[in-house]
Parts: sequence; structure tokens; C-alpha cells
Amino acid sequence: MIIVTGASRGLGRSVAERLIESGEEVLGISRETKSLPFEAVAGDVADHKTLKSIAQKLRKEKRVLEGVVNAAGIASMNLAVTTPPSMTQKLIQTNLVGTIHCCQVFAPLMIRRKKGSIINFSTIAVALGLKGESIYAASKAGVEGFSRAFAREMADFNIRVNCVAPGPIKTDLLKGVSEEQIETIVSQQILPKVFEPRDVSDLCQFLLGPSSASLSGQVLHMGGA
Amino acid sequence: MNLKDSKNIVRACIVEITDDEIKPTDEMSLIGKDATLDSMKLVELCLALEDKATDLKFEFDWTSETAMSKSRSLFRTVSSLAEEFHAQSQNVQ
Repeated sequence: MIIVTGASRGLGRSVAERLIESGEEVLGISRETKSLPFEAVAGDVADHKTLKSIAQKLRKEKRVLEGVVNAAGIASMNLAVTTPPSMTQKLIQTNLVGTIHCCQVFAPLMIRRKKGSIINFSTIAVALGLKGESIYAASKAGVEGFSRAFAREMADFNIRVNCVAPGPIKTDLLKGVSEEQIETIVSQQILPKVFEPRDVSDLCQFLLGPSSASLSGQVLHMGGA
Repeated sequence: MNLKDSKNIVRACIVEITDDEIKPTDEMSLIGKDATLDSMKLVELCLALEDKATDLKFEFDWTSETAMSKSRSLFRTVSSLAEEFHAQSQNVQ
């Protein structure tokens, strides 16, 4: 079974559906689970207690966890000086603390089997230092730092930890961003194009599978940075 | 379950995860410069205790704020870990 957080929409939904297509058993975690066409439980990644109870339930049911895709996240495109403190807190709490929480509570299920793969989501904004994304990028830079160190902590247990760092991807989240803004970001990528959710899912599938057995502690920049 | 039972459970788990290589004593250090277990074995010990707790119908939470906020870590010695294991077993009874 693979756990996918943020599974109700966007990249999380796309990754979950792709994994199911390929025959994987998926457990989605998201704040909204109504009408999801796969097994899902309601939970906010910022809420450690809820995540812990989900992990306890899976352990008692002896579910075999093979991987975790931490896709839950929020974005806010603002200059740092015009960002309200509440949004700063929310970005850090969901993107960074939420990712740490999920790794803390679900890794033990894989440690028992001494096998697993964890994928955390960063952004190309970290590597490119994009204007208007400073706080979002800070939350994701934290994810990258955490993932590199956590990868070393998990290596003894044969659990790999990697980050996927997408640029602009064609999802609903991109609807509020102007063509000009998208072009500015994309032009800084080595491959200057807007990728599809399917490209992200392909990369996740690769990182979850045996073909990526030699990779851990890495950040894979989609489009190249 | 009394404290002595808890100590026996912790000792048995250590023996099990170290394949009988370590004969644990109450004052054996689990963390710090004199630690007998490496970090990997410490994690395995936590998981083993979590499983034992489930068998005994309670949840053992080694990351609980209460456990970690004590002036000295619950992982200080075999004895301190057994005391925390015992305390958490009593909380649900």
C-alpha cells in the first residue's frame, strides 16, 4: 500500500490515480475525502494526533506500507513584505511541519519491514529563488533540508527518502497565475516548458519503485534548475 | 502489570533486538556517550515496545510530550524506559 497525502486534488490526486492505474493499493489522506474513487481517510497533515491515530490503525490492521507520497501542500504567491503573518504560519505548518509529521508517524510502519520509499514535495522555486515566492520557497527549502537528513536516518532501515521539485504544472492551482508569471518561471528552467500532472506521477512512480533503488536524499528538479 | 514486569519486558526486547548480544541491566544507558545501543537499535527497541504494548492493550507513545518533557529523557536507562512504559500502561487501566 502507498499513502498519498493531499490526495483529493491537484498533484496528490493525480499521483494517487496513476498508482491505482498501475495496480497499486492507495490510501489517500486529505481534509476532504467525499466522492474520492479510492480508499481515503480524512486528516490534516498539520494535525499530528490524527496522523498518529491513522498510523496506529494501519499497524493494528497489519497493513503493509510500501511508500509514502507527501503531496499535501499549499501555495501563496506574495512578496514577503505583503504576506500576512497568518499565511506565513499556515505555509510553514502545512508544507514543512505537515511533511515532517507524516514522515515521523508513517516511517515506523516501513522500518518494521526494513523497506520503503518516501517522496516529499519541494518546488523549483527553492533552486531558482523565485521572486514572489520567498515564504513558500522557505517552507519547501525546509522540506529539502529535512529530507536530506531524514534520508540518512532512514538508510539503515533500507528506506529511501527523496524530493520531487516541480515547476509550474497544469493543475487548478495554476489557474490564479498569469501567463506572464508562468512564462517567467518556465524560462528559467533548463527545459523551458510547463509539465503535466502525469509527468509528476511518472517521476513518483519511478521513485517508489525498484528502478530508483540507488537514489536517496536527492531533490529531483522537474524541468531542471 | 507491575514495574518489575515492565523492566522484564524492556530487558527482553533489548535481548531480542540485539540477538542476545547484550545482557541489559537496570542502569544500562540507552542514549548519550555510554549508550549501549546504536540509534538504529534504539528505534527498533521503541517499535518492539510499541508491539508489546499493543499485546497488553495499551498504546506506548515514546514521543509523547509528557514523556519527553521530564527533566531527563525516558531513554536515559533501561530502568527509566521501563518506568515510562509502566506509567503509560497504568494510564489506560
